[in-house]
Amino acid sequence: MKLNNLYLWIRQKPRIAFLMCLPLILMVACLIIYPFFYSIFLATLNKAETKFVGIDNFLFLFKRETFWLVVQQSIIFALVAVLFKALIGFVAAHSINELPSKGQRKWRGMLLIPWVIPPALSTLGWWWLFEPTYSALNWILDKLSIDAIPWLSETFWARFSIILVNIWVGAPFFLIMYLAALKSIPEDLYEASAIDGANYWQKLFYITLPMMKNIISITILFSIIVTFANFDIVRVLTRGGPIDTTHLFATYAFRVGIESGDIPLGAAVSLFMFPVLAVLSFIILRNVRKRANEV
Amino acid sequence: MVKLHKRRNFIKTAGASGAVTLFAPYVKTSISAGRLNLGLWDHWIPGANDVLEKIVVTWGKNNGVDIKIDFITSVGNKLLLTAQAESRAKTGHDVFSLPTWFSSMFKSRLEPIDDVVEDIINKHGPLLDSAKFYAYLDGHWRGAPAPTGSFFDSMVSRLDLFKEHANMDLKDIFPDSSLRDQSLVDAWTYDAFLIAAEKLHLAGKSFGGTIGATPDSRWLSAMFASFGAELVNKEGEITVDSDEVREVLEYLIKFTKFMPDSVYAWDDASNNRWLISGEGSSIINPASAWAVAKRDNPEIAKQLWHHDLPRGPKGRYRPDNSQFWGIWSFANNKSAAKDLLRYMSERSVVEECVRASQGYDIPLVISHFKGNKTWEDANPPDGTLYNYPMRGDEIPVAPGYPAPPEIASQITTQYIISNLIARITSKGDSINKGIKWAENELEGVMRG
Amino acid sequence: MKIFSYRKSINSNRKWALLLAYAFLLLFVVFFLFPPYYMLITSLKSNKEIAEISTNPWIIEQGITLSHYIYLFTETPFLTFFKNSIIVTISVVVISMVISVFAAYSLSRLKFWGSGILATGIFLTYLVPDTLLFIPLFKIVGWLGLLNSYWVLVLVYPTLSVPFCTWLMIGYFSSIPKELDEAALIDGANHFQMLFKVFIPVAMPGLIAATIFAFTVSWAGFLYPLAFIYSESEMVLTVGTVTTLIKGDVFHWGGLMAGALLAAAPPVIIYAFLMDYYIAGLTSGATKG
Repeated sequence: MKLNNLYLWIRQKPRIAFLMCLPLILMVACLIIYPFFYSIFLATLNKAETKFVGIDNFLFLFKRETFWLVVQQSIIFALVAVLFKALIGFVAAHSINELPSKGQRKWRGMLLIPWVIPPALSTLGWWWLFEPTYSALNWILDKLSIDAIPWLSETFWARFSIILVNIWVGAPFFLIMYLAALKSIPEDLYEASAIDGANYWQKLFYITLPMMKNIISITILFSIIVTFANFDIVRVLTRGGPIDTTHLFATYAFRVGIESGDIPLGAAVSLFMFPVLAVLSFIILRNVRKRANEV
Repeated sequence: MVKLHKRRNFIKTAGASGAVTLFAPYVKTSISAGRLNLGLWDHWIPGANDVLEKIVVTWGKNNGVDIKIDFITSVGNKLLLTAQAESRAKTGHDVFSLPTWFSSMFKSRLEPIDDVVEDIINKHGPLLDSAKFYAYLDGHWRGAPAPTGSFFDSMVSRLDLFKEHANMDLKDIFPDSSLRDQSLVDAWTYDAFLIAAEKLHLAGKSFGGTIGATPDSRWLSAMFASFGAELVNKEGEITVDSDEVREVLEYLIKFTKFMPDSVYAWDDASNNRWLISGEGSSIINPASAWAVAKRDNPEIAKQLWHHDLPRGPKGRYRPDNSQFWGIWSFANNKSAAKDLLRYMSERSVVEECVRASQGYDIPLVISHFKGNKTWEDANPPDGTLYNYPMRGDEIPVAPGYPAPPEIASQITTQYIISNLIARITSKGDSINKGIKWAENELEGVMRG
Repeated sequence: MKIFSYRKSINSNRKWALLLAYAFLLLFVVFFLFPPYYMLITSLKSNKEIAEISTNPWIIEQGITLSHYIYLFTETPFLTFFKNSIIVTISVVVISMVISVFAAYSLSRLKFWGSGILATGIFLTYLVPDTLLFIPLFKIVGWLGLLNSYWVLVLVYPTLSVPFCTWLMIGYFSSIPKELDEAALIDGANHFQMLFKVFIPVAMPGLIAATIFAFTVSWAGFLYPLAFIYSESEMVLTVGTVTTLIKGDVFHWGGLMAGALLAAAPPVIIYAFLMDYYIAGLTSGATKG
């Protein structure tokens, strides 16, 4: 009897399995893969979308100073923001872990809030905080007799501000990931090392970090991808200015493609994100594959 | 069904006064029926939208047309984005607001309305010159004068601060009557402006004008025109590298020292806030700053005076922000739309709208503009809006002028002038480097 | 001897560590929570106080007012935005969960040709972020006639949530012991029954986490509605609040902050109640790796 059931089961499996997976496959094919290739096609058209111009759009972009500014800015933005997010997340996770377990929950709860609020909306609050005439932050500086900072109008500070807001939004994610990883490190490892006379830093470098290597690398890589493709924060805060010095790929593509009505050029801009993302994703994939095989 | 968007009801002006009889002078020329969707520019003056909506909806009721209005803001380029989307998707509203260059940008998707505009001109007289520049393209009119939204930025200055720090009595130079002392007006040049700006800056109450990627930066175009500086000339040749351009850039290097640093990131509302907060002594803006000040900071509003811009070596120019209404080529019910457009230029309608906007809107039909009392009656202070419409020798100029419309529109929407200036005055590039950049940008703009 | 000094050094070490931990945490809490606090304060201030440049922006000096909130509900399309957001988000959550649960079950339990590739390849979809897709999708959605309707969001938002939710559920499903499968099979269950009666109940924490994730992501969507929707009646909260609530009136900050807070409230409230599930779900990867 049992053999019969199993036999039937094996026979049906692929069919059902495939059917259950079908919605996913369809969604990916129609809404991700097809538009992606379509965008490559679009990038080869002229502005009015009437003729095929090959790689002209790409060549045109290469000659534009603004484009190279965008490349540079996107990379620096992603790397700097992720670095600080990881740092803050790690320090915060470590700090929470030091507390008695009962008290941890409320700190964890409070610190995750920036990540739960929709970025476009929290950025509105930041925008008002940075407003040249009414900035509440400058008000504090003024009380401390420090000059007002041009948060959004000077290149350096504008870049600082968008990175700051991105860190504010993203650090909580690192926090909870690292906290969970920290908790999964067996306590006896620490105790054993204490008996051997290890101090704080040694414990950190020889136990904590190596045990967390996997999760650290995955979260960092994942965050680089997401930060690199950021749109909301820059769009609401600076719209790419001043003088295009805070444009990222996404906002520049939006400006060029939709605002100026040159869709093929916008597609070309966005496509430049792809190679960078591909390399990063490949690295992540290798990590994830390892995990999936272990399961 | 009529869809009423509830709006704020700050109707402190005469605009709230009951039903205005709008029937009489209008003669139906075609059978208008069905429905119309309007995508209109959202007015900066509190209450003005409601008045316009009432007028249009009433017209609709009287002519058997169902009207639906969406008021779309120009903040964050929303109006432009919407127009882009609709023209690409070939679906959307029927009638749409077309500020400045929109008629040119979307001309291939706009219905030619020569009959409408010619009717208006025949009935009410000629339009301002700039109207033709914006809306008469490839031999056809694509836009008819809009009843709201056409404005021409004047200077808005604090009488008290100018008297105290810059030693200028603005009421004297620009009185609220036609009795001007021409020599005083002639003395108001950009050089004089530079001197005044410096004094005001030293007193901690600077002039502020945006140099950012936002429509309010059109005051820079007016300055360029006053110096005769053209980015692209009438024939479509790039003329950035010219003496006039260099001259105005040199001027700006000096001038920007007397403005707050934040102007490079100012959006359209920043200069209003600057003035209303009391931090600033002067801005270049339509009448909205004063209107909002009346509500939120009456002490300051009492001191605001609207007056002419300075004169440059090549004349006195004022930024032109004419607005039109157009009909998409894919619109339904075009005949009703055309009738509506004709109706919107009726004198009574225009007067009603100007009053509701507290004088912010300046009609494009010249006869409607003369003899409208709104600007004389506005207060406080008495007579502040008298010089808001052009009374003297100011010429309204479109940004990007005199370049051909396709190029001028790109110069405007890509904010090439702002970026050029910012690179030199804020970033610190040399004038030559800046000019090279601008030439590069313009070449990019001209590609198909 | 050595033991005593060791214990003492542990204690003082612990004290320092605790002190430092609290110091950092306090710093972080201030940093993370001051913007929402500021938004709340501003939303309760009168316009006059906001416009006055001399007042302390961090406290309310001239009396609390609810006028901005009232204004939001009565004079702006805020409630329309809210309604649209709810319709879109709930639809997307349902669709996402259906797609990902079925796919996760299939990929974790039932092998078919290519399923291994698919399971790990799910991540490849993040290679093609919404900031790349919005341009071609703009044209595609135009052909489908869905431009300017919030149903377009119901169509495209799942691409943002399904990959992660699927990956999450695969993790949970894979950790369900195979003995449960066998037991169910002996009882004569087919796959659907197995899924609904065994897997879903057991993996409920993961399901909850995935649902919250899908909810948060859809609620916060900004780029797609910005690019595809331009009529107020069709907008969702994020774009509506950012682009149309701040109209020509230059001092509408009180209302804007009120709107932003209210729009941000639902995900925060859900999170507050289901925080533990959410965090556990998100970090399952960390602990199971």
